[in-house]
Amino acid sequence: MLQLLVAGLTVGSEYGLIALGIHIILRATRVVNFAQGEFTIVGGLVALTCVDVLHLNMWFALAGATLAGFALGLAFEIVVLRPAGRTGEAGVTIATIGAVFVLLYGHALVPGWGSNPQPLPGFGGPATGSVELAGATVQVQSLWVFALLIAALAVLYLFFERTYFGKAIRAAAENPLGARLIGIDVNSTRAVSVALGIALAAYGGTIIGPITLVGGAAGFALTIKGFVAAIVGGLESPIGCVAGGLVVGVLQVFLQSRLPYDIADPIVYSVLLVMLLVRPQGLFGRRDAVRD
Amino acid sequence: MSRPRALLEVRALHAGYGALDVLRGVDLEVRAGELVAVLGPNGAGKSTLLRSISRYDATLRSGAIVFDGVDLARATTERTVRLGCLQVPEGRQLFARLSVDDNLRLGAFVRRRASLDAELSAVYERFAPLAQRRGQPAFTLSGGEQQMLAIGRALMARPKLLMLDEPSTGLAPQVVEQLFAIASELARSGTALLIVEQNAYLTLRHADRAYVLEGGRVALAGTASELMRDERVKAIYLGGSTA
Repeated sequence: MLQLLVAGLTVGSEYGLIALGIHIILRATRVVNFAQGEFTIVGGLVALTCVDVLHLNMWFALAGATLAGFALGLAFEIVVLRPAGRTGEAGVTIATIGAVFVLLYGHALVPGWGSNPQPLPGFGGPATGSVELAGATVQVQSLWVFALLIAALAVLYLFFERTYFGKAIRAAAENPLGARLIGIDVNSTRAVSVALGIALAAYGGTIIGPITLVGGAAGFALTIKGFVAAIVGGLESPIGCVAGGLVVGVLQVFLQSRLPYDIADPIVYSVLLVMLLVRPQGLFGRRDAVRD
Repeated sequence: MSRPRALLEVRALHAGYGALDVLRGVDLEVRAGELVAVLGPNGAGKSTLLRSISRYDATLRSGAIVFDGVDLARATTERTVRLGCLQVPEGRQLFARLSVDDNLRLGAFVRRRASLDAELSAVYERFAPLAQRRGQPAFTLSGGEQQMLAIGRALMARPKLLMLDEPSTGLAPQVVEQLFAIASELARSGTALLIVEQNAYLTLRHADRAYVLEGGRVALAGTASELMRDERVKAIYLGGSTA
């Protein structure tokens, strides 16, 4: 039981980070980034290159993948989203779907990445280590995932709640007109928001890498799980997104332990429909959050 | 006769949105320390004039806007703010979920490396009701307090020119009276004000000079006291007086 719970919270952490990235980008650009899962995959692969080619340990690989995600996010906003934005929100949404295919088929062409999932070493030891916890066998890497999830949330919280620039980003996301009229360059805050969202995707793909392998074609499925998580928790609430991710992860692992794999996943997806019908603001969202 | 060069000079301005022409040749100037009103009926182009000056979204077709010696034709909104030309737009456009304090501090975005404490306490002194609500999110404020916050936020950028778009909308008469008193005070202390209003008589009582826009052109211009006596202003605004 505890073992399943830990396994669920582990994958749920990744869904939560994907949901949070979708949330940050949605706030700033009013667009759902369907490529969020693909950027998670690419982030894990950057970490793999850091380890295999540059012979860095996992901590530096994590830093490298996160920074690469940030740079990639900036480029993504400036080269793809901003020009697409001139055609309206629908155009940007379609551009993110286009990015899914570019990243999906593109990453397989990169030497050393390929199309098959590959293992990453663990944080602070081998990827396979485990400990006894309250009578259950728990993977050490799961504990690292939790710690790194909390660390990322703490950093983001401090950035958005305590720093001047973080507040400027929130202000520009909430009211672009008001922000422009006090001299905030909304294009820049938007680019930084997208970059943060993609950096978060890359970070999430790396911290879970030792457990789930990195690479492969699962990116879009990750996006959908992240989106379900965001809807379950409340798309407008950052804490809700993470909590929704954990709920979806646990639900998925419990269902998979009882049902065949190809039945468990559709049930997880149908949660999305039920939530949209019954409680569109999410478990943790406010009712008035639905209108945008 | 020597007079100081105008802080803001608008010359033969034609502007609009897409294929729509709104301003069809507007000439206007504002000097430092002046409170200038722009009056006119709905659709006369009053807001478009402010949006053109702020370089927000109106397209300039011809003519010139010169602020403090700088031609704004190619300027971004960010640049106009850096030059000291601030607009408090219609609807206030506050950051509703951020606190009063954060809204004000963000007002100084273009000079964020400076110490903001002196300005902040000056704003709280001027707008006493805000001081009691420093930590509250902006959406919890009353309409009058929100308008004060919007003006206070703009003041944090240390404007040379402050433009207010319909500041009286939705506010009780005594609150509006208070806001205009503050505006006159600001003008006396050297900040130029350009106020767009439908409430003609109230505005004229506080203004030094005024322009009346009609159909995208300046129909009348003069000192406030001249305009208040003008038969045409009376005709246009008959019944519009709350004074």
